[in-house]
Amino acid sequence: MAYPAQVEALVQKGWLWQGQEVPANKAEQQFLSSGWAELDTRLGGGWLRGSVNELQVRQPFIGELALLLPVLSQATTTALWVNPPVQPYAPGLCYQKLTLSRHVVVHEADDKLALWTAEQALHSDAVNIVLMWHAGLSATAVRRLQQAAETKQKLAFVITPWQQQEEARAYVTRLQLERSDSLAVRILKRRFGWPLPPFPCGVDARLPRRRRAL
Amino acid sequence: MNAWLYLHFPHLLLDYQLALQPPELSTMPQALTQSHAARRTVVQANNAALQQGVQVDMAEVLASTLVPQLKLHDYDATKESAMLTQLAQVLYQDMAQIVLQPPQGLLFEVQSLLRLHQGFAGVVKRMQARLQQWPLRYILSSGYSPLSAKLLAASGHSVLSTEPADVKAAIAELPIEYSGLPEPQIEKLRNVGLLTLGAVLQLPAAELGARFGRAITTYVAELNGDFSAPQSFYHPPHRFDEQVELNAEVHSWPQLLFPLKRLLQQVESFLEIHQWSTRALLIRAHHRTGPATQVPIQFAHAVWQQRDLLSLSQLHLERQKLKQPVLALSVRVQRPESRQAKEQAMFSAPQAQTDSLNALVSRLQARLGESKVQSLHVHDDWRPEYQGTLKPWQSDSTSGGLLLPRPAWLLPQAEPTERQQWQLQWGPERIVSGWWNADTIARDYYIALDQWQRQGWIYQCDKGWFLHGWFS
Repeated sequence: MAYPAQVEALVQKGWLWQGQEVPANKAEQQFLSSGWAELDTRLGGGWLRGSVNELQVRQPFIGELALLLPVLSQATTTALWVNPPVQPYAPGLCYQKLTLSRHVVVHEADDKLALWTAEQALHSDAVNIVLMWHAGLSATAVRRLQQAAETKQKLAFVITPWQQQEEARAYVTRLQLERSDSLAVRILKRRFGWPLPPFPCGVDARLPRRRRAL
Repeated sequence: MNAWLYLHFPHLLLDYQLALQPPELSTMPQALTQSHAARRTVVQANNAALQQGVQVDMAEVLASTLVPQLKLHDYDATKESAMLTQLAQVLYQDMAQIVLQPPQGLLFEVQSLLRLHQGFAGVVKRMQARLQQWPLRYILSSGYSPLSAKLLAASGHSVLSTEPADVKAAIAELPIEYSGLPEPQIEKLRNVGLLTLGAVLQLPAAELGARFGRAITTYVAELNGDFSAPQSFYHPPHRFDEQVELNAEVHSWPQLLFPLKRLLQQVESFLEIHQWSTRALLIRAHHRTGPATQVPIQFAHAVWQQRDLLSLSQLHLERQKLKQPVLALSVRVQRPESRQAKEQAMFSAPQAQTDSLNALVSRLQARLGESKVQSLHVHDDWRPEYQGTLKPWQSDSTSGGLLLPRPAWLLPQAEPTERQQWQLQWGPERIVSGWWNADTIARDYYIALDQWQRQGWIYQCDKGWFLHGWFS
């Protein structure tokens, strides 16, 4: 699409940016499909490689892991779990088709060391996904993780409780998860677009079938 | 053809001790002294001391008057010999036949290595490159016999040539004092005007024997290479447990970095010689009193290079505190293993990836502690608590082919709950097991939804209802 010369000049300077459209220089291979069509279209193709993403959950275990299962169960995935809230249960993860030998779980109470662990994993060639549970990372911590993820083109997910007032952080995407009938995902922040209101995401398809309440 | 090389380290003990210290310390004048018949003389000095006028054989009093800031330590021949053995181990990577000539020399047989290292110049270059890693002063000389090489190197003449004639010429000019003969013999020879070795060698052997005894004919035969005493070649040990003494008390780990670096360099050559790698080291810091501080170090993958050993050890040591000053540091290699099996599988990509994953795990374990880095395991047991566990990392965790709906999360302890809070969705699945030991269970498991529509794994047993896991 060609713009008038003045508009083009503004685009060049970066003063004007395009709303919904993913810029052409972001080719498809820079996205990793999240496995959920409704989420992929809204994020421009999936999770952006080299990004740290925040998942704010209203309550723990409402479906945040189910949302990530498609990426975690890929054959090429090697993941590091930092401070999961309870024990990741091997038989259940087998049932979800995860290769157990490609998952490393770290429990570290010390905040600094936990961050160091995540950063080491992002810098290493062996791991491509880092999951981190945290009560609320500082701006500097997010920036450091983002930097590490970007240089090595890794994916990181930070799962945190629902934040009441939003403070600026360097996350590439920030999602709020809530459950009504199904899992509702609200996009607080994303690349190449405005925030979006909650939409249902069909993560229950990965879980044991639900029956309507009588 | 000159088949022998001799390496002489005139200041071995001092140089070695300086190599264990930060480089800036070696710019201070330092020397080693020894008592000799009521006289205390300098036996070794570093360059800084030599430049300021200190000389070997100078009286200690004179040296310290000349250079007041000169630091003096005692010379110890047994320590020096131990270091020579450690050096032999380092050089064994390039040279197959080494003879220890304590306290300061190493003799090498070259003939067998000419093809491997592309000729005589190749052998010499190889050895010089290896020695460059160590800040040691040395004199390397060749010879047509072990003794000829030794005499040249020990007298400070470095003749590196394949031509026996060159060596012969140098030997002929050597003053009789450097012959290595006992003092009375030298005296006798000097008295009849034989002032150089060349003059001695010109005389017919029979005449020499008649005038100076049989010992000197054997000596000449040995020098000429006609007769050689059987050499006992060095064999590298099969264990590595080396210790270095520090010149001063050290109070923190960072200060131990230099000695540790040197020790790990030796570990690398030890492992290289045997084509081994290791998964565990034991580092000990020895104190003046009390037991040594022991730091066991485990690696999740087999390593042998100094670089890897050092970076992982450093992470381990950062967690340690030194309660007392350290006088000596030692490193022991535990569980060495053959490298062979590993390298054959290196070409397949997945192996390479597990290797780098293991490297990451090693690093994490080094900093956080081994128990904090875990892997997921499935076991043949119907009791949920035993079926899936988290254990300290093992790279070969098995994936069982389980296809029963099981939750992704398991609570560390089942939580008592109320039946009313849940909508049952699926179940019951009765699990009765563990009758063979005390931990017997009899439970009915259900998949149920709570008030926030979260899928939980709950069970009923004779004690009531419990929440045991979550599905998402």
